[in-house]
Amino acid sequence: MTNYFKKQIWALAVLLIAFSCQDNGGEKPQGRYDSGVYIMNEGNLGTNDGEVYHYNPGLRALTGGIFEFENKRPFAGLLEDMVLEEGRLYLVANTGKIEIVEPGNFRSLGAVTGDLDQPRSLATARGKLFISDYGPYDPSFATPDSYIAIVDGLDGGTVKKKIPVSNKPEDLFVSGKNVFVAGSEEGKIEIIDAETEALVKTLEVSGSPVQFFEQRGDLWVYSYDDSKVYFQSFHLDNLTKKEFRELPIAQATSRIALGEDDRIYILTSSGWPDYKDGIAVVSIYDTTLIPSWKTGSGFYGIGYDQERREIYVANAKGFQGNGEVIIYQKDGKEIGKLGVGRGPSGFLFR
Amino acid sequence: MMLLVWVFFGLGISPVQDTVSLAPVEVYAPAVDRFAQGQKVISFEKRELQAYASRSIGDLLQEKSPVFVRQYGAGMLASLSFRGTSAGHTAVFWNGLPISSPSLGQSDLSVLPVAAVDQVQLQFGSAGALYGNEAIGGSLHLSSQTDFKKGFKGGFSQAFGSFGLSNSIFSGGFSSQKISLRSRLYRQFSRNDFLYQDLSLPGTPENRQDHAQVEQRGFVQDFAWNLNFSSQIKASVWYHEADREIQPVMGSKTQDQQKDASIRAVVDYFRFGKKSVLNLKTGWVRDQLIFNTSKNETSQFLLASDWDIQATKDWTFKLGARASFIEGDLSTYSATDRRIEGYQSAKWTPNSAVAWSFNLRQVFFSEKIIPFLPSFGLDWQFLEKGNQQFLLKASGGKGFKIPTLNDRFWEPGGNPDLLPEESISAELGIHWTRKGDINLESQVTYYLMQVDNWIIWMPKGSIWSPENIREVRNQGIEWEGKASWKTGAWGWKTGLSYTFSEALDQTTDSQNPRQLPYTPKHQANGTLEVSKSKVALELNSSFVGSRTIGTGESRSMNPFQVWNARLSYSNLSWGKVNFPLSFQILNLFNQDYQVLYLRAMPGRSYQINFTIQI
Repeated sequence: MTNYFKKQIWALAVLLIAFSCQDNGGEKPQGRYDSGVYIMNEGNLGTNDGEVYHYNPGLRALTGGIFEFENKRPFAGLLEDMVLEEGRLYLVANTGKIEIVEPGNFRSLGAVTGDLDQPRSLATARGKLFISDYGPYDPSFATPDSYIAIVDGLDGGTVKKKIPVSNKPEDLFVSGKNVFVAGSEEGKIEIIDAETEALVKTLEVSGSPVQFFEQRGDLWVYSYDDSKVYFQSFHLDNLTKKEFRELPIAQATSRIALGEDDRIYILTSSGWPDYKDGIAVVSIYDTTLIPSWKTGSGFYGIGYDQERREIYVANAKGFQGNGEVIIYQKDGKEIGKLGVGRGPSGFLFR
Repeated sequence: MMLLVWVFFGLGISPVQDTVSLAPVEVYAPAVDRFAQGQKVISFEKRELQAYASRSIGDLLQEKSPVFVRQYGAGMLASLSFRGTSAGHTAVFWNGLPISSPSLGQSDLSVLPVAAVDQVQLQFGSAGALYGNEAIGGSLHLSSQTDFKKGFKGGFSQAFGSFGLSNSIFSGGFSSQKISLRSRLYRQFSRNDFLYQDLSLPGTPENRQDHAQVEQRGFVQDFAWNLNFSSQIKASVWYHEADREIQPVMGSKTQDQQKDASIRAVVDYFRFGKKSVLNLKTGWVRDQLIFNTSKNETSQFLLASDWDIQATKDWTFKLGARASFIEGDLSTYSATDRRIEGYQSAKWTPNSAVAWSFNLRQVFFSEKIIPFLPSFGLDWQFLEKGNQQFLLKASGGKGFKIPTLNDRFWEPGGNPDLLPEESISAELGIHWTRKGDINLESQVTYYLMQVDNWIIWMPKGSIWSPENIREVRNQGIEWEGKASWKTGAWGWKTGLSYTFSEALDQTTDSQNPRQLPYTPKHQANGTLEVSKSKVALELNSSFVGSRTIGTGESRSMNPFQVWNARLSYSNLSWGKVNFPLSFQILNLFNQDYQVLYLRAMPGRSYQINFTIQI
């Protein structure tokens, strides 16, 4: 799961560009899915039934399976991430492909289908795609050959180069020509020069880094271990570590959402065998620390709608069938429930 | 309690009048349905099995029976679903020996070739009392059938077909009055590189399957020996191995390899009394499954004894006990299990038109007791008029399933506190037959079943663990009809069946219960065969209705209908040697279909089969 705020910033950028282009190209008609919420449904392992649902909060209208509906073929993959950049929506399937669609109508623009193993996330820089990939499993289910795959062009094609990185790379973030990679297994942040396509720097961080985000103009990475969560920021000019926070939130997962007033919502799970899930709320800039804002079971994804100040919590319901999304107000009051696809795991608010 | 019931029925024994001597002129096998009055049992005819000799039991049941076979691709895992129950809710026997994997709790029908057996029977409904563990939805009985006094017999059969298919079967045997020996050797190979439309790629191009090659080899040795006039020994050994590339689900690039190897051995001793048969049975099953590099081995050892007695003209009884010892050495754990069972059956035939049966079983496993399991049944021929007969069948019973070794001990996630799955079912059927110029047969059955403590593996964070959570209510109607007639030199045969099966999940949403995943409500089969002297043409079709891929409001898959055609000619001979020939077209209309979501199935394919029979 990548940081949705980064995507929102991009969405804003796209919007600005769209406005500024009004005179030359004429206004692009608003697409059916250009506003509202994309709900990412990962799908069930071995079934490859990942899909995107679309929810229009104004009309309270939910549309299921929009990829298949618009493209007349199933998504046929496990949907790991959705990345909205450069006016394109990249759907990352960890079963080994990237589907690229037009965000407004969800029609296919292209794909990367060959030479990927277990892609996790994607970022665009200098007209290229950078794809984080676990690489293949070895016989003991380790991933010693993780890499960042590079594709020339924004509409897919073939992988032209693979840069080896530390095990299990997750989120990516682009600042200028630098591509930041969250190396989750070995606690590394690796930085790739998008022009030379070479690894230029490696920084060590605490915990397992999984998610980049921007807050108050700084780039941060979120990482976690069994007993704590960590936030590390970076100097973008000299690529060094800047500020560090360590907070006592136990049993955190990789899934977070950024709310208002610098609040960060973190999904927690006691895991095996009790399996109690929860949502913790923390802040980097003040003393907010609520270890159990919500508790439940089956939580699998979280998102924050900045515009309507609502929190979306996805429940995978044991992957036995379709999952569910519960919408809360900022004060925690439940205001709605949506029956979505299998294994709902994340949101993209537009 | 069990003993009491036995004594109670035993009091009814009166001086014996008729003899039901069972002289060992044939290799004895206790009939599967001897105490299954009121239950639906389907037996496949020998010629039906011959037509499927180069295919699997999974293919046979999918195309020719009312059960649903979940096929994970061509030649891939095929599991059985009876009356809306799961793959683990079917007991599978080979020559009376339970052969389902004790770790997985189910049988893969794709690695059970039709060529290895002579008889296939399906029994429907919960029958824990009669068949023990796993007989919740029904049971599948496979067996060898051998004879005495037939001299030398031999045969070789070779099939070639599309996608690199090459299947060979060799069989040879000898039998005298005293001894019967038969060997079978087979090899089945398919590159399985069929074309399919890859739905996971832009433009859905037609691609060739490149990771689904299957090779299976095995031998079966049957042996029977008449020790003297009143005792017989029967033994069978079956070794089977399969080496498969696992066909990836569309959109995935998995390159999994699976090797299965099983050895099954069973020895029966029968002692024939004047009106009774004593059976001592011992058996051993060893399964090895290597998935990529992970190795899983299980062994089951079985000791059983029963005594079947015709006590009076009206009453027949059976009393038996069975002990099983199970050992599992799996990739993540090792475990053992012991089961002891006592059972008894009684049949009362007050007149030639009525037969009642009562069955009971008590099971102990791992220091636990399964609640007492009863079943009863009635066959009543309530009307016989001219050439027509009407038979009423009614039965009810309980079934159970002991949690599998994986359910209890898998590391991590295994749950040793699981309770056995339980079921109760009842059915009512009418069977009509009419003999004449046109022979007609029609059977309609209504069933009702409740399954509780159904075990489902649920994710617990990153670990999956099984729980007794599901509760399911099943009901349905099954209809089968057959007709045969002649027009001049032409012989005609037709068979049709339709099944309506409702399996409602009471767990997810009890107010609005939904049909279980991968459980089609509608299923139908049809066959038409026309023959003239030694030429026969057969056309068959199977229809599977829509089914969802998950619980609740899940994606629904389209219905599909697949047709097969077969032309055979059996008039070629040279002296005493016959050379039957056959040609088959599978998926005649090149239907693009999937049984399970995104698991590609082959389009039209051809097979030609040569046989030499001595």
